[in-house]
Amino acid sequence: MATDAAVADAGPTKILDRAILEQRFDGLLAANGPSLTRLAASYTNSTSDRDDLLQEIGMAIWKALPQFRGECSERTFLFRIAHNRAIAFLSRSKQEIPALDVEVEIPDAGPTPESGLARAQVAGQLKRAVQQLPIMYRQVAILTLEGLGYSEIAEVLGISESNVGVRMTRARKLLRASLEKQR
Amino acid sequence: MNADIELDDWRQQWQAETAIPLELRAKVEKQSRWMKIGLAADVVVTVVFGGGTIAWASRSPHPDVVLLTLATWSFLVAAWAFALAVHRHNWAPSAENTVTFLDLSIRRCRARLASVWFGAGLCISELVFYLGWINYHDSIRQQPLGTFLSSVPEVWIAALAACAGLLWYRRRKAAELRNLLEMRSELNS
Repeated sequence: MATDAAVADAGPTKILDRAILEQRFDGLLAANGPSLTRLAASYTNSTSDRDDLLQEIGMAIWKALPQFRGECSERTFLFRIAHNRAIAFLSRSKQEIPALDVEVEIPDAGPTPESGLARAQVAGQLKRAVQQLPIMYRQVAILTLEGLGYSEIAEVLGISESNVGVRMTRARKLLRASLEKQR
Repeated sequence: MNADIELDDWRQQWQAETAIPLELRAKVEKQSRWMKIGLAADVVVTVVFGGGTIAWASRSPHPDVVLLTLATWSFLVAAWAFALAVHRHNWAPSAENTVTFLDLSIRRCRARLASVWFGAGLCISELVFYLGWINYHDSIRQQPLGTFLSSVPEVWIAALAACAGLLWYRRRKAAELRNLLEMRSELNS
């Protein structure tokens, strides 16, 4: 990020560019803040780590934003950066979230009566279940839960759509099993 | 469950997950800050009083100073044991959702209420011991008990003020606990 002194040295066009960039950046964060927070929380164990990761994501977006020329949607652009930062953060901090046993029996997921409290508890269970997924399934699950389509996920992760489908099918089975186990 | 219904349901749960009321988040964060300040204060008290009495006992020829040191450390250990037990699992929310934040607030509130009773008991025990100890020290100088107790009015005033403060704090925390429990039952309904 440029310093104030650097901005002062720049011409009026550059100052205007920077103002536009800042506005765009703020808009992006405002529109996607909750999604990014959930994403960061899925890769970390504590609120302080989550906030650190969020800050790193914000910095990476700021750096990459001037180069963004609309080759993909802003959402795809944002999630691609966020995921790359999350993976880098994970490899650096070696967060230990126990992975699920990949070979699990898949129970029937029957409907359950849900009160408000139960619904909120289930939301917490879902987050834990997502956190426990192996990375390759977790990435796909998070993006699907954030409402991205297979083609967008494929763009974010740089894999084929069919691969996204395969991973999501596996992720769902693991999520069902994990949620069942938590109940 | 139909796969798409299941996925939609998960999406709703997922996207509602960070919708923690701002006041509740702020309250929990403020409590966390105060807990850290309280912990730092406990460490200072332990170092000053615990260390101070040990230093005094190591230099004093009087055996009753050893008794004072032992009693002081007993009070410190009791206070630490209680604090660690009562605040166990209360340092941070285990997850980012409303129920967890609310449950944490309720647990912290209950811990504070328990601390009021423990604190009152500990204060009374300390008052009895330290006044007795000082009186024993003074009895060497032949001061009668009645004269001694009436010679320390500031202690009684401080004790009364502490009692009033504890009662006020207890009422405040009890009201807060009622509100939190109401919030939880609303969330449950």
